[in-house]
Amino acid sequence: MPGSPNDRPLLRVVSKPHGGLTGLLLCLFFVMGVAGSSLSGDAQAQGDPSAVDCDIQTGPCTKNLADGTVTLDITPKPVRAMQDLTFTVTFSGLKPAADPFIDLGMPGMTMGPNRVVLKRAGENAYRGTGVIVRCTSGLRTWKATVTVPDKGPAEFVFDVVY
Amino acid sequence: MSSTEVVFLAFFSSGFAVGFGHCVGMCGPIIISLSLSLREKKVLIPHLLYHAGRITTYALLGAVVGVTGSFTGVTSRIVGIQKAVMIFAAALIILMGLAMVGWIPLGRIFTDSFRPIGFFSRAFRKLNAACSRGAYYPAGLVLGLLPCGPVYTALVAAARAGMESGEPLQGMFTGLWLMTAFGLGTVPALLLVGRIASLGWLTKREVIYRLSSMLMIALGVYFIVRAALF
Repeated sequence: MPGSPNDRPLLRVVSKPHGGLTGLLLCLFFVMGVAGSSLSGDAQAQGDPSAVDCDIQTGPCTKNLADGTVTLDITPKPVRAMQDLTFTVTFSGLKPAADPFIDLGMPGMTMGPNRVVLKRAGENAYRGTGVIVRCTSGLRTWKATVTVPDKGPAEFVFDVVY
Repeated sequence: MSSTEVVFLAFFSSGFAVGFGHCVGMCGPIIISLSLSLREKKVLIPHLLYHAGRITTYALLGAVVGVTGSFTGVTSRIVGIQKAVMIFAAALIILMGLAMVGWIPLGRIFTDSFRPIGFFSRAFRKLNAACSRGAYYPAGLVLGLLPCGPVYTALVAAARAGMESGEPLQGMFTGLWLMTAFGLGTVPALLLVGRIASLGWLTKREVIYRLSSMLMIALGVYFIVRAALF
């Protein structure tokens, strides 16, 4: 019924201005959303642990872990977000007590748990499939944390293609 | 507690965590823009309707990825729609910002005292009156399609759970319930943002009000640029 209290127009704008606090909140979100990417870039420039340390687009990357090394490769190349990817982890000098796994995430951005389950695929090699999702912020830096039971994690930070 | 309940709880917890850690920053402006259309009291039901719409969309997407067992197969087909929804949301924010700053006459149109003269004004007035509280549910349905990293991540897990459930029908229900749990988890953070935006203790600060209008326009443009690059 027109004019009744239940008629709440979807686009009521000027008549009830909550704009003061709205402005502050929008400022806050703008800083969080937009300037957050700048902070991330600064962190990378200052040698932050979340800085890109793996050129996954050109080939596999290797990290030291315990008494050996862990090598991560992602195919197909170029490594793109939002497509099925194959993750291959190869060990040298260490034997995992159980199947390792990979947790995917963005440095400094909460994206929710995204785990790649790895299965044995030959001598010292494990393989699994997963997807790196796309962030609407436009940030492209991702981190793959390879966890080896009883040995600990190895982190690989790399850029993906959108 | 059964394994199903544990997984359901895990998805809810994941939604709760990303709600405060991600959604507040990325979706907060949209929630605030929606809050602007409400009076200061009784904001809860419209917001709940909006979130119900959003969760329905998540659940339907969960059902689809659950029955197909493929995340990329589904998302590759809806990317164009998501882009359009992102531009729609941006246009809505810009429209409200322009009206708030007084650069377009929509603000006067939305006031109860406005007496439309022209045909278009009258038509717009009637259209606006039709947008009752119930409009927030379909708005949630549509904006639930906004591209969002944590939603994608949850859908990846839902697709995997659906695939591992063995049968397509079971996979469909698994995906549906898990994405419902995820969506429910995101509600508290966004309800909080909507509630805070409804407080009016700074409403008399004209300068801040004007600034917020300008900021909304800037945010809308930023969203459109993001949509173009997506």
